[in-house]
Amino acid sequence: MSRSLPRRWVSWGLTASFFLALVSGLIVSYPFREEIPLVSTVGLETVIPFGAFFRAFHYYTGQLTFLLLGWHLVEALMVRAEKRRSPRAWFFLVGSLPLVTLALFTGYIVRGDQTGLSAGQIAEHLALKLPFLGVVVNRLLFSISEEGVHRAFMAHIYLSLAVFVLSGLWHFRLRTLRLDDLLLWFLLAGILALFWPVSLEAESFAPLIKGPWFFLGVQELLRHLPPFWAGVVFPLLPLLALWLYRFCPRVAGMVLSLWLGIYFWLTCVGAWR
Amino acid sequence: MCGGLAVKRVLPLLALFFLVVLLGHEFLRKRSPKVFTTTSGRIEMCLACHEERPEKAHARNVVGCSPCHLGDPLRIDKDLAHRGIVKNPADLRVAEKTCGQPVCHPDLPSRVKKSLMATNRGIIDTLRRYWGEIEEGNARLTPHGSVRGLMQSGETSLALDYFRKLCGSCHLWLKKGQYEGFLGRKGGGCVACHLVPGKKEAKHPVLTKKIPVKNCTRCHNRSGRIGLTYQGLYESEGYGTPLIEGEFGAETLEDGRFVERIPPDLHYKAGLVCADCHLQEETMGDGKEYVHLEESVEITCEACHGGKGLSRKGRPIPGVLKAQNKMLFKDLQGKVHPLKPPDPINCRHKVHQRLSCQACHAPRVPQCYGCHVRRDPNEKQLDKISGRETQGAWEEFRSYMRYETPTLGKQGERVVILVPG
Repeated sequence: MSRSLPRRWVSWGLTASFFLALVSGLIVSYPFREEIPLVSTVGLETVIPFGAFFRAFHYYTGQLTFLLLGWHLVEALMVRAEKRRSPRAWFFLVGSLPLVTLALFTGYIVRGDQTGLSAGQIAEHLALKLPFLGVVVNRLLFSISEEGVHRAFMAHIYLSLAVFVLSGLWHFRLRTLRLDDLLLWFLLAGILALFWPVSLEAESFAPLIKGPWFFLGVQELLRHLPPFWAGVVFPLLPLLALWLYRFCPRVAGMVLSLWLGIYFWLTCVGAWR
Repeated sequence: MCGGLAVKRVLPLLALFFLVVLLGHEFLRKRSPKVFTTTSGRIEMCLACHEERPEKAHARNVVGCSPCHLGDPLRIDKDLAHRGIVKNPADLRVAEKTCGQPVCHPDLPSRVKKSLMATNRGIIDTLRRYWGEIEEGNARLTPHGSVRGLMQSGETSLALDYFRKLCGSCHLWLKKGQYEGFLGRKGGGCVACHLVPGKKEAKHPVLTKKIPVKNCTRCHNRSGRIGLTYQGLYESEGYGTPLIEGEFGAETLEDGRFVERIPPDLHYKAGLVCADCHLQEETMGDGKEYVHLEESVEITCEACHGGKGLSRKGRPIPGVLKAQNKMLFKDLQGKVHPLKPPDPINCRHKVHQRLSCQACHAPRVPQCYGCHVRRDPNEKQLDKISGRETQGAWEEFRSYMRYETPTLGKQGERVVILVPG
């Protein structure tokens, strides 16, 4: 059966997860002190009542948001949703993808553990490789070496809020989010949070530190290509392909598929190391 | 997805049930009163439960637990916190991550792994040559001619089977506590030497650089029996034969062998332990892999007595001091001893120039004669390298022990004592 719209449960699952991630984010940010990020995170995990649950809940709702967004995007492309959007609207919609990814990525940095800080330092170096805008982007998002997790913490909150509010105003209507959708995704993330603690990696002298799972592909590529190509050009390729999908879907679709295949393979190799 | 009416109705109930479970889970969950940190600010949540107090060098508030014992220091849930934990951090299998991590003792694990106490290359090489399995000639660093090599390859032969079953518990790769009884106290990597019991209330043993003789003689008590002789112990006959005026030799070693008291070494009487004289580079390796003891040992009598305080390989001996034109020796306990120079007539006279110090200064030494072994192919015996019982059981026999003047012989141009062990 051919569809004309992405599946409803995916779209509203995405909205519900995003909303729950924001609410739980507000809760965990209350006892969080960005000048001692890891102490704060461990305090949440071990000292504060319900802290471990809310941290895990925030993590899983964030992951669900990211995964459902990917699913939603694939479905949107399959039903040629870009045709129903103006070029400008499509441009901004596609532009929200890296923002969500950055919001998720900065969330890893904020916890201040080995994975987060190392990923942050790599991201800082990659940001500085951006032509013309490198210093500004780094100042806005990372600046780990000078300011610890402060910028990443701010970016995490601002990016998440900005994407949610703007999408809520323009791409979906939050007030139409149904309680049963919210409860379903609350239960799913809640069960995950209750039974699968979120990783937290202590400082170690291990020769290889792995970043967040969706960053493993970039990390792996950095072994083989210069930082500018591996960390800037390669991750921007799918964004470019998505923008161009509206005009030449066949070529852009092939580029996207190829990119996804390569990235999946790189991620597997990175995870296997 | 949730369009079904039944699902819609049941979701609030499920959510309510979930909240109850969450409350119960939270009520039962262990919580810490605070985030524990070391003096450097590193988080160490192990301290929320563990009260063990190691010695100063590894103080709990400075080092914490996880740098040595691994595990996850950011958790207090026992299962999560103990994931990847090691009971003995000094085990050579993990030493690079624990004792040998970059901020602690980074160069030592690789050195120790090459040391003879870890490789046992000398014993293996000698056994195989004596038993005709390899050709006489220069000792070789064969890949499987070491304890680790044998562990990994599983290689065996008659000589190797003998080694695996009778000698296989005296090396640093042996896991502490792997076997019962006195064998269980041997091995353990770094702690084979560096561990001594701590105070009961500390609940943690003490790691020390002042290695007691007892630790060395857990292994160095056979063959040349130097560890026993040094302390004034003479391994007597297996059944405790009376040695002096009909008295029964009732003193035994940990493994049940009978010993008699003989005059101890002068250095032992002065309070020196093995590690006072033997350099770190000899015992823990100098980074090179040797096959035989004589290549590795650096200390000489002359280094302290009449020498410049340098080892055979030119390394300064840490305890040797020079004060007011006198040579002194400061032992590990901090006690200073005068270093007596060799007798200008007896030792320096040209007719004695070829004599080693022991030729005169070891007037009597324990000697073991008539050593032979028997292998019963029908019986099984524990292979201490693999930890499995395998076919073939070895038994050692000797004709008799003697405590008497040793035979002198030549080693190169030097006249040395020859002691059947």
